[in-house]
Amino acid sequence: MKAYSRIASAAALAASTFLSAPSWAQDAKPQYGGELVLTGQLDKTMFPGRNTDAGGMDVYLNSCENLVEMTGDRVIHPMLAKSWTTSADQKKVTFKLNEGIQFHDGTPFNAEAAAFVYNEALAKKFLYVSLLEGLEKVTADSEYEVSFHLTTPSAALIPNLAYRTMCIFSPTAYKAKGEEGLGSNIIGTGPFIQTEYTKGEYALFKRNDKYWQKGKPYLDSIRILFVPDVSTRVAMLESGEVDRAFGVPDFDVPRLSTESTLKVNTLPSLQQYYVVINNLTKPLDDPKVRQALNYAIDKAGIVKSVFAGTGATLSQAPTLTPGVFGFADMREPGKDTIFAFDLNKAKSLLKEAGYEDRNGDKFVENAQGTPLSLKLWTRKSGKGEYQIAQLVQSFLEKLGIKVELTVLESATFSASLSLGPKEAKYDLALLGWTIPTADPDEPMMYMTHTKAWKPAGANRMFFSNPETDRLAELAHAEGDETKRAGYVRSWMAELLKQAPVIYLPTSNLTEAVRTYVHGGQYLPAGTYVGSSAWIDQAEKKKQGITR
Amino acid sequence: MGFVSPDPRDNLPATWEGQKTGLAMARMILNRFIFMIFAGLLLLTFLFCLFHAIPGDPARLIAGDSAPENLVQSIRVAYGLDQPLMTQYTTYMAKVMTGDFGLSNFSRQPVLQIVGPRLLNTAKLAAWSMLLAMTVSLILGCLSATYWNHPVDRGITAFSLVGICTPIFVTGILAIYLFGVHLRWLPIGGMTTWKHYIMPVATLGLAQAAGFTRMVRACMIDALGRDFVTTARSKGVPEHVIVFKHALRNALLPIITLFGLGLGHTLGGAAVAESIFNWPGLGRLMVDSILTRDLPLTQGCIFFFAMLFILVNLIVDLLYRWADPRMANE
Repeated sequence: MKAYSRIASAAALAASTFLSAPSWAQDAKPQYGGELVLTGQLDKTMFPGRNTDAGGMDVYLNSCENLVEMTGDRVIHPMLAKSWTTSADQKKVTFKLNEGIQFHDGTPFNAEAAAFVYNEALAKKFLYVSLLEGLEKVTADSEYEVSFHLTTPSAALIPNLAYRTMCIFSPTAYKAKGEEGLGSNIIGTGPFIQTEYTKGEYALFKRNDKYWQKGKPYLDSIRILFVPDVSTRVAMLESGEVDRAFGVPDFDVPRLSTESTLKVNTLPSLQQYYVVINNLTKPLDDPKVRQALNYAIDKAGIVKSVFAGTGATLSQAPTLTPGVFGFADMREPGKDTIFAFDLNKAKSLLKEAGYEDRNGDKFVENAQGTPLSLKLWTRKSGKGEYQIAQLVQSFLEKLGIKVELTVLESATFSASLSLGPKEAKYDLALLGWTIPTADPDEPMMYMTHTKAWKPAGANRMFFSNPETDRLAELAHAEGDETKRAGYVRSWMAELLKQAPVIYLPTSNLTEAVRTYVHGGQYLPAGTYVGSSAWIDQAEKKKQGITR
Repeated sequence: MGFVSPDPRDNLPATWEGQKTGLAMARMILNRFIFMIFAGLLLLTFLFCLFHAIPGDPARLIAGDSAPENLVQSIRVAYGLDQPLMTQYTTYMAKVMTGDFGLSNFSRQPVLQIVGPRLLNTAKLAAWSMLLAMTVSLILGCLSATYWNHPVDRGITAFSLVGICTPIFVTGILAIYLFGVHLRWLPIGGMTTWKHYIMPVATLGLAQAAGFTRMVRACMIDALGRDFVTTARSKGVPEHVIVFKHALRNALLPIITLFGLGLGHTLGGAAVAESIFNWPGLGRLMVDSILTRDLPLTQGCIFFFAMLFILVNLIVDLLYRWADPRMANE
């Protein structure tokens, strides 16, 4: 049996590359009392198994806790589990649970409760079930010992269990009320008890006086107001109606940063923009053409014009963002990003692939005189996606490629990008990928692996490369972190050769918080842990906030 | 030889006239309710067809873009989306007949439970806004017509034109920054206290009043130019009596129609105001449900919006009869 310290050390290794938590997270001398008023966005159910959005997690994480947690410094810590061990064949992971914990409805938290939740997730196909790939069953070995049985070793299991949506809810409440019941009244073991909820308006969480972590939480209550309009969120923060606004527009950041009563925090997220390249269509099946497309995009220009210079960060590695296990800086020496903008290099790569301007019309043609024309699909959604697509179109046209940009309605776009290789009609499509578990397993096995071609997985490029598949499988099963990190690095290096997508910048997360709020953590996955926050009452009063 | 009435009904007692009017009114209300039921069912059928004709898979949206196909398929089965369209339609309509509009695809709460409070919130916003719009427009429209071509008229006309030309989201955000952020007089989002009503109601109501004022002014100018007004003036009737009793009563018919149509516009505008002021109303809910392809919820929202609109038109018709007794017998 191998002790969890090994995994923790690996997490620490990963953490060394991560950004540190917000500076105010370390503020000393927490004060008790007060109500923290946050803005949130809950479009779906509150039931964790059916809502994996950051907005949903922000709400239910106040009440619902995981076996392990990943903190703002992106290190995995024990939570409901106090330790864990892995069997020699790495097919069984056993957790020792903390004792004396109760769910808010009085049900004791034990191995049986934990096993029930995960077995139910497998049986009922909760939305996160793809992250539990290879998990056969979960058994309660004793009152406080629960084992996860795997068909094949999975190094991603622990980080995936830290994913907030895999929190453990009360089996009693679930059996009595079902998903629908917990969807509006979440019952877990967390520091706050949900007492009120009105869909589309607010959710109120009151302090759990019987919370198992002594001395916590500091706040009396957390009120989450659901405010979908970002301008309204910012105005409510400025007027003092709420204590925190998320998703602050990039162009508002300079103005809000000058306000003495507000703190503006920007951190890189786990989401990287990319352009899907349909690897099955000609000439996009040629890596040289795909590399040329990558070199033709001025990523710094995108950051400057679409994100006001602050809303996104230039990517340092393919697919993985800083903070994901195994991340390494894969930029060429002296370059600001991978595939740094170089139009001449792009043109020469395209020429090597047989495409050049043969008739002086500024567009490239092949030897038969057929021009290179591509269809780029996008949607008017997300943070500046449409603007990025427009820029990509113009950059590719400078390379001599005719690009037909089509804007699809969001649901249509989603449906069209979920089709298999025979039905898919796009050449290029703008998307973003997120690695919420901060583990590379999902991008390696589920986003780029040959077995993950749409519709089975999330490989929309229909990219297939034996070497990346082999490295992904090795990393998936490898228990030794150093070796695993090596496989991840080799996998990224191979991706740079293959260029299955056009790699674009990584988006940043921006929040603005009142200066009297301390201790809250904004995680790169986009969730906000308000349960660890506290309020400086004197400062709040000084700012004239009397609610 | 006495006068013989050509119509025997003329000899009936006066109470019969009242009964006849009441009967016509009851018949009209009953007809309207029957119409409402048919219109509602037709609307639901149309929406059902529309939602299945446009691309986009609700199961895919529930599962998320990256979800594997087997998970999406399990959601299709769980939500009955794998059934033949006709089966889905008949099941849905049969449930609607019993008052069950199904569960929201995302929140898994009954649609009625979600829509009910939201409808009430939108009705509150629309009612107060309309009340403000009617009051302001009647006063300003009458003043404008009375002082035709006078600086008062020009000032009111300028107000109307600015109001008509400025979209609600602009006035709303300006109001938020002025009264909410800088002066801190009024709360910005929600509908907890009476103070929360002021900005959304004023924004929506005054925008509507701007348009109404122009129409009231035109109707009143027309009425004030009629012969009966000249007669009244020559008889020495005070001007305020001429304006408010004689001219306004005669100008009311087109104005009532205008207000009725305007309410539809207010309900549309409410969706924008609800987003800006974080008002938990039906408009915002409907927009969200359309974007997420939450079919049961969208159907519920549009159905109740349509019912509200038909109901308002019924009220307008009743008001018509009050304003013009000649209509009562038709």
